[in-house]
Amino acid sequence: MALIEARGVEFGYNGIPLFQNINFSIESGELFCLLGPNGCGKTTLLDCILGHLKPLKGEILLNDSNISRIRPEQIARQVAYVPQNHEKTFPYRVLDVVLMGRAAYIGMFDRPGEEDLAIAEEALATVGITHLKDRRYTQLSGGEVQLVMVARALAQRTPVIVMDEPTAHLDFKHELVIMEKVVELVREQGLTILMATHFPNHCFYFENSGLITRVALMSNMNFLALGSPSEVLSEENLKQLYYVNTRVVSFPVDVNQEIKQIIAISTTDSRHEDKQGRSVL
Amino acid sequence: MNGNYLEDNTHKRRLTYLLLVVAPLAFIFVSLFLGRYPVSISDVIYILWCKISGTPCSLPEICQTIVWDIRLPRAILGAMVGGCLAVSGAAFQGIFRNPLVNSGILGVSSGAGFGAALAIILFNATAPTYIFAFAFGILAVVLSYLIAQVYNATPTIMLVLGGVIVSSVFSALISLTKYVADPMDQLPAIVFWLMGSLASARYQDISIAGIPMLIGISGLLAIRWRINVMSMGDKEAQSLGINPVINKGIVIACATLATAGAVCVSGIIGWVGLVMPHIGRMLVGNDNRILIPTSLSLGACFLILVDNLGRMLTGSEIPLGILTALVGAPFFVYLLKITKGGGW
Repeated sequence: MALIEARGVEFGYNGIPLFQNINFSIESGELFCLLGPNGCGKTTLLDCILGHLKPLKGEILLNDSNISRIRPEQIARQVAYVPQNHEKTFPYRVLDVVLMGRAAYIGMFDRPGEEDLAIAEEALATVGITHLKDRRYTQLSGGEVQLVMVARALAQRTPVIVMDEPTAHLDFKHELVIMEKVVELVREQGLTILMATHFPNHCFYFENSGLITRVALMSNMNFLALGSPSEVLSEENLKQLYYVNTRVVSFPVDVNQEIKQIIAISTTDSRHEDKQGRSVL
Repeated sequence: MNGNYLEDNTHKRRLTYLLLVVAPLAFIFVSLFLGRYPVSISDVIYILWCKISGTPCSLPEICQTIVWDIRLPRAILGAMVGGCLAVSGAAFQGIFRNPLVNSGILGVSSGAGFGAALAIILFNATAPTYIFAFAFGILAVVLSYLIAQVYNATPTIMLVLGGVIVSSVFSALISLTKYVADPMDQLPAIVFWLMGSLASARYQDISIAGIPMLIGISGLLAIRWRINVMSMGDKEAQSLGINPVINKGIVIACATLATAGAVCVSGIIGWVGLVMPHIGRMLVGNDNRILIPTSLSLGACFLILVDNLGRMLTGSEIPLGILTALVGAPFFVYLLKITKGGGW
């Protein structure tokens, strides 16, 4: 069943379309990656899917109903969100941040109760950061904060989690920590994940882990290709998408498992950019 | 000293809430026997007992009047005004995601100041001053909100900008009223009003101005957990399931009612709305579930304390707006030192 469906979606700023006629559907239990150069509109598309922005044309369906007619607390019970770069303000305790994930279930003039607390604690345990629960989240490292954001999304108890470049600004190890966590969530919690990313290898990582993975390549106001990483992330497509020469390599780690990776070789010199990084060829 | 008050220990939580209620009551009680006319503690208790139970009192009339009709309403008003300013400041800091915001950020103080100054020039009576101050305080916030809406939604930055614009317009208008005011009686009246005072406190003022104050405080207390969620920013708040425009609107409405109700009877009292929430943050942490009630209690205690100093330090009263900063600043620095800034 399609959890999220986009039909002919268009959005743009100041009358200039950013993308047009976007169509796709996300099935339950899959990992859907959005890949594309800076400024191609990944975050904007996610904002439309989360109901923050209303598409200029077309519609986005959440469980078959138009998202622009669903109230925020109803959306928040279906779709949780892990931001690209959470802007920290007040030094809240980690547990209090995760508790905020329960807002959609708590009345306007109410406060979290015992059950919400138990769910927040469970989310912390699932992500493996129970030991951080009394720390001030402003004093955590970038990777730890991102895990807190994942825990907060889990506390929302939604079937879908939308992640906008969840590994941006993370170091070598913490990037992998988040990726492993995502795989674990899809595999063990049966979650559906929609993730914008800058790294083609993320898509391969999920596929290598045996998850049902699809990737949409976003460029020139639409999807260049949509399919499994092995099908879509070809040397040719990446050249068209990023103007980068690449090689896809395959490395057997086991008798019945091989790891695919993409290696960037060089940029092609046929590229011209405007300030937003959009191709103006 | 960070906020583990809420879940970890029911006993400790009850004790904290009890303390938050008892502390302002204790400050009110103490201020009943403080002052230039000496009344002993036992006499104060006796007078309170007589008034509450309705039995005749054998103490001199002046003694009863001072305790029951002057000091008590003044202390109650001080508690309410201080509480309102502090709690609105804390709520605004939360929804504007900025710890440097105070209760006057959307122009309520300058609006009320202009309303009061205008009423002093036009009528020179107490009742219109309250009404004008309250009405212009509300008007200023409505204007700030409308300015922010020029931009379609009400993003935080536009609200703050709207507040700055409206505040500066009303400040200019205050200067204008001062300029045209009669320098013999109207001008001093305006200047004193702008410096803030509780000296005119009577029960009827409390009962009228108390209505918006209590509505505002109750609203903020009720919605306080959502202020945590709103402080994550509009986008995250919405994806967590709350409508940022509606919820922000409710907080602004409540905080404005509370502040306008307070300012219209007390005049402009700075510092409380900015610094009391910070003292609260240092003491109990940033979770608004505990911070909002703590700010309320701290603001109430602080203003009673300052008002008592104001009426006892010198022969004539020192305006509140002056003393709040003079007393508050060293205390703030002291707390900053012992709590090491509370995690900022």
